[in-house]
Amino acid sequence: MTVLMLRLAGPLQAWGSAARFVRRTTEHAPTKSGVLGLLAAAQGRPRGADLSDLAALRFGVRIDQPGSRVRDFHTAHHADSGRAMPLSERYYLADAVFVAGVEGEEELVRRLHAAVRAPRFLPYLGRRSCPPARPLLFEGSLSDRPLEDALRGVPWQASRWYVRQLARTGPDGRTKTAPEELDLLLDCPPGEEPDFSLRDTPVTFDPRHRQYAVRGVRTSHVHAPAHDPTAHLRPAASPGRPAPRPGCLLGPRCT
Amino acid sequence: MTRTILDIHILQNVPPSNMNRDDTGTPKSAYYGGVRRARVSSQAWKRATRSRFNELLPPEELGVRTKKVVEALAERITARDPELAGTAPQLAEETLKAATGSSFEVPKRKAKEDDGTAVSESKYLMFLSRRQLDALAAVAVEASGGGNVARLKNALKDKEQKARARTAVDTRHSVDIALFGRMVADSADLNVEAATQVAHALSVHRSDIESDYYTAVDDRSGESESGAGMIGTVDFHSATLYRYAAVDVDELQRNLGVGLKEDEPPSTPASKAVTAFLEAFITSLPTGKINTFGNHTLPSAVIVKIRDRWPISFVGAFEEPVPKSAEGGFLRESCRRLAAYVPDLERQYGLADGPTWVFRVGEETRALEGLQGTEVTLGALLEQVKDAVAERLGSGA
Repeated sequence: MTVLMLRLAGPLQAWGSAARFVRRTTEHAPTKSGVLGLLAAAQGRPRGADLSDLAALRFGVRIDQPGSRVRDFHTAHHADSGRAMPLSERYYLADAVFVAGVEGEEELVRRLHAAVRAPRFLPYLGRRSCPPARPLLFEGSLSDRPLEDALRGVPWQASRWYVRQLARTGPDGRTKTAPEELDLLLDCPPGEEPDFSLRDTPVTFDPRHRQYAVRGVRTSHVHAPAHDPTAHLRPAASPGRPAPRPGCLLGPRCT
Repeated sequence: MTRTILDIHILQNVPPSNMNRDDTGTPKSAYYGGVRRARVSSQAWKRATRSRFNELLPPEELGVRTKKVVEALAERITARDPELAGTAPQLAEETLKAATGSSFEVPKRKAKEDDGTAVSESKYLMFLSRRQLDALAAVAVEASGGGNVARLKNALKDKEQKARARTAVDTRHSVDIALFGRMVADSADLNVEAATQVAHALSVHRSDIESDYYTAVDDRSGESESGAGMIGTVDFHSATLYRYAAVDVDELQRNLGVGLKEDEPPSTPASKAVTAFLEAFITSLPTGKINTFGNHTLPSAVIVKIRDRWPISFVGAFEEPVPKSAEGGFLRESCRRLAAYVPDLERQYGLADGPTWVFRVGEETRALEGLQGTEVTLGALLEQVKDAVAERLGSGA
């Protein structure tokens, strides 16, 4: 078994599990159907294509930075009068970062990895207007460890501002010394009791008869390994940056 | 095959404005980097881009998005044969039914006062290219044997005729349908996958919404009638926006098809459409409250890149909000951020490959000189991108 992990970070994301018609909601974490849709699109599968191999992958997601919900009131204009008319309410997750993983046969997972490296359809985070803000793949995106271990082992992907903010708001106003405890949401193994269920395993994305099966989810927690993932993305010679903070909780790579 | 993806990055100053508001009249916003930012939705800017197309492209290259498709088609039928003016709406409705599988009815508000001339409408906005409407008009005129509605109904039961009507709406897509896609609710196989991806525009800095309290004087109020004729408030914000869009040029070519003219290379339709999108996206502005604020601005900096693997947004450069500098303004620091962020990101991910163009205005954007790219004017940018796209499509075909 091999695991492919994607970093899902962007100013806006939208992961709906029951988002139809005029009220397009979002869950608080990426859905299996959304992530499998991204992978299927990367491979260039048409919407009507068979998904059984993807649906059989075990799915898990780690919430590295939960973000907040944004409501978008979306209008269209009436053709006659030019008057605005309400069309839909769309919800987005703003400012969130996730690591989503799929586990399955090595060959399939490697093919998906190759597809994300050179996607046939442009990838987006749940809605077309939500492009990723950082590359989906990172060093260590492919792993031979079991899904849950792999997700536990990935360095914390939260943004620098979020890490700083958490450090400021530790218990009793004291600086936190350990990184955040992160939520893990995993496909419930067969025969076990799920913590909650979603109608979220895609059967087909065919727009004529979109279909989803129920998916059981188990929740868990993890202390994410301390590491600042954006350290290497920092402008190398940006003027006016503050000097490295002594005793930073993120270790030597943190400034 | 060479993969061609176009990334467009724009920095644009917008003074007090309210281009895109929610149901309470407040300008749209979102949180990013932990602070509130000004936001203009992707839908609003796509609509503005589409409106710009009307000035940049001949009408036959464009589509119409309307519920009044029956009326639009009836006009085409009448243009083809003026004698059919009387039955054109019925002919149009039958043909559209066969072509799209949708149903059409007279809207309730019109049915009330119907004097027999009300025309049916579709239940949702339908997006058809002018060429598609012309092709449907041809089907309607021919299959009706010169305007006989019963004969048309009968003819469209025939598999071949029906297929002809369906093909008419499934080929020769307009530039805007190819770029922005199409959803036909009743007939999924007529859907077109959009070739572009437009992100919500976000301010690079923290932006709080301000409220303008205004009073208006009644010109005919006399000395004794004190007080305003009207009072109210209007919400607004000012912003330096980061705007981003990606064009999947290969998908665009699949949607548009290759050129059919003998004297043109096959890549012509796609490279023309890319150029039109580029110009329209750069120079367009959503019109919300524009007469109130007069916020007509153009971008201060445009960076265009051709990618051969995946598109990349640079919004991450602004996740930490740009602070106000000593000189004031956000543009200078935004350009510095990009100049540092872009090469670093590309080096870390091994992506510094494709060509880059930089189009910038003013001394504040000087930092962008540091980006490895060709500095161009807008005209040269459009010309050079068009040539580069044509060359890549030509070599990959």
